[in-house]
Amino acid sequence: MVEHISIIMFIAVCVVLMAGYPVAFSLAGTALIFALIGNFSGNFDMSFLYALPNRLYGIIDNTALIAVPLFIFMGVMLEKSNLAENLLSSMSLLFSRLQGGLGISVVLVGMLLAASTGIVGATVVTLGLMSLPTMLKQGYSSSLAAGSICATGTLGQIIPPSIALVLLGDVLSSAYQQSQLALGIFAPKTVSVGDLFLGAVIPGLMLVAMYIIYLLIITHFRPHLAPRLPPREQSKVPVLQLLQGLLAPIVLIVAVLGSILAGIATPTEAAGVGAFGAALLALGSRRLSIDRLKEVAQTTTEVTSMVFLILVGAAVFSLVFRGFGGEALVEDLLSNIPGGLFGATFAVMVMIFFLGFILDFIEITYIVVPIIGPALLGMGLDPIWLGVMIAINLQTSFLTPPFGFALFYLRGVAPKTVKTKDIYQGVVPFIGIQLFLMILLCFWPSVATWLPSLKY
Amino acid sequence: MAYKLAHPFKLLALGIDHFTEWTGRIVAWLTLAMVALTCAIVLMRYFFETGSIALQEAVTYLHAAVFLAGAAFTLKRKGHVSVDIFYQNFNPRTQAVIEILGALFFLLPVCLLILIVSWDYVASSWAINEASREAGGLPWLYLLKTLLLLMPVTIMLQGLSEIIKNILFLLYSKMPASPQGEA
Repeated sequence: MVEHISIIMFIAVCVVLMAGYPVAFSLAGTALIFALIGNFSGNFDMSFLYALPNRLYGIIDNTALIAVPLFIFMGVMLEKSNLAENLLSSMSLLFSRLQGGLGISVVLVGMLLAASTGIVGATVVTLGLMSLPTMLKQGYSSSLAAGSICATGTLGQIIPPSIALVLLGDVLSSAYQQSQLALGIFAPKTVSVGDLFLGAVIPGLMLVAMYIIYLLIITHFRPHLAPRLPPREQSKVPVLQLLQGLLAPIVLIVAVLGSILAGIATPTEAAGVGAFGAALLALGSRRLSIDRLKEVAQTTTEVTSMVFLILVGAAVFSLVFRGFGGEALVEDLLSNIPGGLFGATFAVMVMIFFLGFILDFIEITYIVVPIIGPALLGMGLDPIWLGVMIAINLQTSFLTPPFGFALFYLRGVAPKTVKTKDIYQGVVPFIGIQLFLMILLCFWPSVATWLPSLKY
Repeated sequence: MAYKLAHPFKLLALGIDHFTEWTGRIVAWLTLAMVALTCAIVLMRYFFETGSIALQEAVTYLHAAVFLAGAAFTLKRKGHVSVDIFYQNFNPRTQAVIEILGALFFLLPVCLLILIVSWDYVASSWAINEASREAGGLPWLYLLKTLLLLMPVTIMLQGLSEIIKNILFLLYSKMPASPQGEA
């Protein structure tokens, strides 16, 4: 059974990754070893690999992906110039009279920082370093503080403009076209990155709202979990001055997002202007030097190369996977799952959830979605709904003990006084909120699809 | 005494590290150019209602240069993501063995593959001095495609340096000092 080699290869990759060598090389290298063995035993035709340069040039030539380094630049600039940190301190002063105000500020700042690197680790680490010490100092319970930081750190995946959604939109749009061509539709409908952004707005905001409601309720009934600042330390700074500090970054992010959603600018254009705007803000607050600029440019280069090398590795992997007939096998498997479209979608979601324990967003987007996407979309699933579901699903996976990425990263930066058990306990309510939203999306898909449908 | 024997290898590894570090630092400035050009394009489109294909292609060129020429730099700075759940708890010698095996069996073969299958693709682009298909586009498409060869070559070089450094570490339990990460 030649096709089963593709499944074995997939499992082999997951095992190999555990060794800790960079994902891009492990992915492509394992696939290449399988291809060579397959070639030797007559099960694989090496000429499949000659499609590689064309695939790689496709990555270079894809203008939608240019938004990625620009968004990274904007996120790194906001972070390295401490604008994000300032935002948090102004906001928490603003909310200092409110029970649980600091926690709520963390959620809101995390939401605004969504445009950061798009890598769970980076967001959780930044947020953890920035806000965990403050929360603990103010007397927050370890589990509440850790839980809200982890949950907010993963929020960056779903709140547009996140690079995770840019990449997911790119993959889904080609999967969508492929599925329609397979059905004999030669003037296929398209789905764009902007559509996915629009689709993610309502579910994303609902998540934020539910996080905040949870914080308000829990701190109302158990005020000792999140004490307020003592009155003498509360803000003496006039509210107006606080608002000034908040205004600029918020205007920037809202303008970037708004121009994409309103259809005025493409994501790439908005990202470029946003990156420039972030640099101007840093300059305006006298936090931009040549050294800082150098640092931002170099970090942007590193993160960009990291993201795109995974795309290169995944291109090799998917060619070999296809060469072994893996795509046909997956389509076959999915259409034979009992329960039809619902059963197949459910199975895929469960698989993605578990893969989220070992793979980050970008890998899953480029390894798994191209394999399962055309099959599911061919069965009639809405691409925007699928994208939003994958995003929330992965976010939940990153939060789930004991393997969730976010938990590891927070553990890495949290002081010893915060026990691992505290972190695990803290995230449970947030996982509940996420699951609730996913169930809601199953029964009312229009939560995701309504806003994009207005565009036409 | 034995450590001295390894000296030429150490010099080679450090030389490669220097080269990679500097290419990375130079390439990094291109991200600024990307931001500036993208803003220029937006300005032209919305305020002067003109578009320039050449300018848009220039952004594509810069973008490609950043992620293809920056890949080796990222390797040197250990910026490529990996699943480090177990890795971070391994002792340094085990980590060094993983680095060596990974480079030998994954990094080098994959780069060789890209080099081999892309060679004719790039050569045929050079043969016709391939230019943009768009009117008003840039005439250097063959140079852009050449980046597909530059990437595997620079990564292989850096991979070689990583192999040498890790072998030296296993042999002598010390890692050669490398040019500083941060500027």
